[in-house]
Amino acid sequence: MVKVKDAEVPEGLYYTKDYEWVKIENGKARIGITDFAQKQLREIVYVELPSQGDSIAQNEPYGTVESVKAVSDLIAPISGTIEQINSEVQGSPELLNEDPYNKGWLLIVTPSNKDELNTIMNHAQAVEWHNTL
Amino acid sequence: MKDQIGRTHLYHFHLQNGKLASFAGFEMPIWYKGIIPEHIAVRDSVGLFDITHMGRVTISGADVEMFLNYVTTNDVSTLEPLSAHYSTMCNENGGIKDDFVLYRQEENHFLMVYNAANRNKNFQWLTKQAAHFDVEIKDISDRVAMFAVQGPKAQETIQGIVEEDLRDIKRFRCGWTKLGDLKTFISRTGYTGEDGFEIFIWETPVSNPEKATKAWNAILQAGKRFDINPCGLGARDTLRLEAGMCLYGNDIDEKTTPLEARISFVVKFKKERFIGKEALLKQKTQGVKRKRVGLKVLQAGIPRPKYEIFKDERKIGYITSGTFSPLLKKGIAMAYIQTNHAVTGEEVTVKIRNEKSKAEIVKFPFYDANQYGYSRKL
Repeated sequence: MVKVKDAEVPEGLYYTKDYEWVKIENGKARIGITDFAQKQLREIVYVELPSQGDSIAQNEPYGTVESVKAVSDLIAPISGTIEQINSEVQGSPELLNEDPYNKGWLLIVTPSNKDELNTIMNHAQAVEWHNTL
Repeated sequence: MKDQIGRTHLYHFHLQNGKLASFAGFEMPIWYKGIIPEHIAVRDSVGLFDITHMGRVTISGADVEMFLNYVTTNDVSTLEPLSAHYSTMCNENGGIKDDFVLYRQEENHFLMVYNAANRNKNFQWLTKQAAHFDVEIKDISDRVAMFAVQGPKAQETIQGIVEEDLRDIKRFRCGWTKLGDLKTFISRTGYTGEDGFEIFIWETPVSNPEKATKAWNAILQAGKRFDINPCGLGARDTLRLEAGMCLYGNDIDEKTTPLEARISFVVKFKKERFIGKEALLKQKTQGVKRKRVGLKVLQAGIPRPKYEIFKDERKIGYITSGTFSPLLKKGIAMAYIQTNHAVTGEEVTVKIRNEKSKAEIVKFPFYDANQYGYSRKL
């Protein structure tokens, strides 16, 4: 596991500067928020997600996470159609704090434009960026 | 405190142990461990807050009672030496300039503790109003450190390190004591709804933080057996909100009167004159158009300031403070709504982004006062 200043930045994922990660699995994209993001937000107490079948558009808000004090938009890292949402995090939002890259995933989408992956950060770029945070 | 960023005596402790943020011109800890565990520590045991950022002035002189009865809304003549009360200062329209706790330290010597954000405004206002009175107003903010020790184990925590028998200091009473060898003023007051004390370490300038640091560490040490938590401003906010206490700038301001805020117990109309009396008396006679109420969200979502409130599709008010309640594990809020709808038990809807969530108007405090808070039955 690669760690940059306290925040885990796992290999094999794409990242955005809106603190989201994307993992490509059999042509589908699994999406969540980064370890850095959950550490900044601290205690996540509410997650609002769109529904299965909805589409998301790159750089557009698709939901919100709330800590005790703050509301933050979730910004789509890529565009696509939602295949599945993680309903478990809606009942247990603390999963985003406890396990942001596994149990705390948010959406699985079918990407509508694979080229968008070239517009966000790969692992090496993400490590470099985390070093500046 | 002009444009410079303020730091308290405990800045280095906060920096090392907490997450800092700017609040009212001060770099203050928002949390150390997290808002929820700190909040729960105060409800269940004890927490320690650095509240040195608050403004402190002493007001003394031959006319001091007359002056304070003119410039504040509560009745100072009923305040015995070594006791305190909650009060407000209003403008001529009855709008709240600030809310504060006023301590009568001696017959002709008072201490006023007000909001950090209003430090300059208040000092100027008080000084201006004092022109025709024989009083002296001194800003002692930067020479006194101020901590709050709050929670059901607060008394036991500090009893071991102060001379005074704390059982003799009842709620809203205060006195001089020694914390170790430090000159200390202590009062049974707070902003959490719990029993607890506010501790003023006297004669400790911010430029020489030694005494204040020593006192802070002594309290942490004394509270160790109760798992005392240093607490940040995050928990301070969620605790006061659960207790139903107003936050200046959110729930009250110069466009809001004490009657609308439902803190009219701090307005004593039997006083011959005080700033804002005519306007407030008129409002009292005519009745207020809106009132501050508590809201408990019954569905998903966390209410936040500025969210709108509806009844039968008609907008009836808006939220001024809202949070996730660590104790109730639900969204709670304070809101101003039209008086005819301000009925306990009434169901309304809160517009949370694109959704409308059901909420119920509830009494303050939000928690069961038999189970939590200073009047809990153990």
